This record gives sequence, structure tokens and C-alpha cells, in this order.
Amino acid sequence: MTEQHRDAGGNLTQPDFEQIFLPHLDAAYNLARWLLRNDQDAEDAVQEAYMRAYKAFARFRGGDGKAWFMTILRNVCYTTIKKLRSRETPEPFDEEIHQPVGESEAQEAFRQKANAETLHDALERLPDEFREVIVLHDLEGLAYKEIAAVAGIPIGTVMSRLARARGRLRGEIIAAKAKESRS
Amino acid sequence: MNHDEAALLLGPYRDGELDPATRLKLEEHLAGCPSCPQKLAETRELVGLIQSETPRFAASPFLKTRIQAALREEKSSSATVAWWRRLSPGATYSGWAAAAVALVILAVGFFSTRGIPELAREGVANHVRSLQGGHLVDVASTDQHTVKPWFAGKLDYSPQVVDLASSGYPLIGARLDVLNHRNVAALIYQRQKHYINLFIWPAKADSLHGSYNQNGYHVQCWTKSGMNYIAVSELGEKELGKFVGMIQDQTADSRPGG
Repeated sequence: MTEQHRDAGGNLTQPDFEQIFLPHLDAAYNLARWLLRNDQDAEDAVQEAYMRAYKAFARFRGGDGKAWFMTILRNVCYTTIKKLRSRETPEPFDEEIHQPVGESEAQEAFRQKANAETLHDALERLPDEFREVIVLHDLEGLAYKEIAAVAGIPIGTVMSRLARARGRLRGEIIAAKAKESRS
Repeated sequence: MNHDEAALLLGPYRDGELDPATRLKLEEHLAGCPSCPQKLAETRELVGLIQSETPRFAASPFLKTRIQAALREEKSSSATVAWWRRLSPGATYSGWAAAAVALVILAVGFFSTRGIPELAREGVANHVRSLQGGHLVDVASTDQHTVKPWFAGKLDYSPQVVDLASSGYPLIGARLDVLNHRNVAALIYQRQKHYINLFIWPAKADSLHGSYNQNGYHVQCWTKSGMNYIAVSELGEKELGKFVGMIQDQTADSRPGG
């Protein structure tokens, strides 16, 4: 970002702001939608993030606009989650679906049951921090370094969190299959 | 590299996140390990599955319009704040120079805003508000015969509802709004990804005429057959003008309330 984009007040102008950040609208919406799990909350969070980014625009020093914006969006989402959680009762932990199963049986179950619906449900059941790294890495294609910036954690934590998230997701899919075959 | 170390690096290996030296060491381990290649294949299978089977939720075009409208609003209100900040005691000499420039810009803005009638400004404010928070329409319908009766009992007049779908300006619904200190009918039309609010209410002695531009929104006002009309949109002047022309043509020979 060069000086010619700044107005007399040192602020970037709205067209520049839109040019830099509106291309990330889909990525932002995807993360917000996966974190908040419904359209209306996701749309509100994305709009709120754009407003905050616009107000903080003078502090944007160029560089990775996507990571900068996603950081803001993520903060808005977690604020919303806190608000929503205080209103709802937590789901009871289902002992059944977390029972361990044998490894060869598991691999077979994974193959058979790994359809879109199971995957979607399993991903929704992951804790927010796990779901987030999967969405940011596997769906949005952010590098570990970018995820570290967005989530405010060290790269090593990104690495271990992503590994645990994937392990957990695989476990959820296998458990779903095991549960189904028992019923 | 021992087995435990390697096991932790399988994900980053799959993700292309290892430096060349570490990658080489891991590949050496993979060549001789009985279990790591299997784990790696599982990770690849899972990520492949996530990428092929998980929906990437896409933002609706409406959200984009809504954000752009909100940004425009924010921009017009923050210009004044920025100007005041510049006048703070700590301001530098160049700050004062910038303030002088800002003052001129503000003055121009002020006088050009003053040239816009209150009604047109109200129309823009209503339009912007309608794009925020998902309250664009109270009744969503592309059918003029659904929209028109919807106003019955809500207003003491019946606005004409014109169908322009075949011309590329489909009706998407209606809303009850307040303008000029009274309830008015708001018809919402769509042009590609943009929206047009058309406010309609009975004219008394007043007669509206003119087109204006406020903060990038275009407004056209007119009075026809005893009804006042204000059309507001972020569409270009030309495209809004085309819309207004068609509305005027199709309401020309009708009686108010007919």
C-alpha cells in the first residue's frame, strides 16, 4: 500500500478499502458460518468485522490483508459465540459416540461412512478451536504462519492443534458409523 | 529422526510446511517405518475428503451490498470526526495544513448537501437502513398482485405496483416505511446485485421534481397523477434514470389509487 492511496487525513479511501478487503468476503463468510453455524449470525459478524476493519484501517500497514482482516473477523465471531453460549445449555456429552473402536474396524468404517453428511456433522461437533483450524487450513488454504497470525498462537500450536483436530474429526466419523451399525 | 518425532510431522509434511532438511529426514524415516506411511495415507485421505465433500459457504450478493452501504454511511460520518481530530492541540503544522484542506472539502460537502432537499436525504437514509440487518422487505414477492393487496389496511391509499421484471428490474417485495412524517409504501426492485427503494405517497399541494446524488446514492423525485415518488439506489444515475422512466411511463395514464 503506497501513500497515493491515502487522503489528506492519512486514511485509505473507501474504494481502496473495498478493493483490498471485499475479495475476502467469501473466505470471511465461510469461517463465520462454520464458527457460528447459522446464516444470520454469520452475516452480522461479517458486516461487523468490515465496520471494525474500516475504522482500524489507518493502522493497516499493508502486507497480508487477508490475515489482518480474518483476525478481526475471528474476534467478532468469538465475541458472538460467547454471547450465544450464555443463552444456551451445553449439549450433554455422549458417552456412546466417544467409545473407542478397534483400528481395522475403524479404517473400514471410515471408508464406508465418510460421506458428505457425516463429515459435515462431525465437523460441526468439533470444538470451535479445532473446527477453526480445519476451515482455515483445509478449506481456505491459509498457511500455518497465517493461521498463527489470525488465531494469535505460535506456529507450533497451529501444527499440533491441526493434527489433533484431524484426529478428532476422523474419530467422530468412525464413531458415527459404529453408532449407526449398533442401532 | 525417531518414530515419535516423525509421527508428529506427518501432517505438516502433507501440508508442505516442512523445511527441506526436515522433509528429507522424514522421508528417510518413512522409507523404513512399518506404520508411518499408513498414517500419512490416512491423513491424506481425510484432508482430501474434507476438501471435496465439505461445503464452502459463500456470502450472498445481498450481504455485499449491505456491507458497501454500511461502509458508505460510516465514511460520511467519520469524515467530520477526522477533521476534529486534526484540530487537537497536539496537531503538527502539516496537520493544520491538512485541516485546512479538510475544511475546504467539508465546506464543499456541506453546501452540496444543503442543496439536497430534506425529503431526498430522508429517502437515502431509509434506503441505507433497509439494506442493513435484513429488513429490506416486509413482504417478499415478485408478484404485483400479491404486493398491492398487502398494503390494504396498512395505508389510507393504494400505491400502483408496476411489474418491470421483463426489463431487468424485477420487483422483490415491499415494506412499510416512514417518510415526510407519515407512513409510506416502499417498493423494492432489484437491478443485478443492487436494490432500488421506491417510496410512494399521495401528494397534497406539494410537487416534487429533481435528481440528486448524496454520498454515492442517486435519488430521483417526481410527482405524477397526484402521487409523490422518490426512487433511491446505489445504481448509477443512468440505470436509475431508466428505471424511473419506465415507472413514469407505466403510471402515466392511471388514476391515483387505481
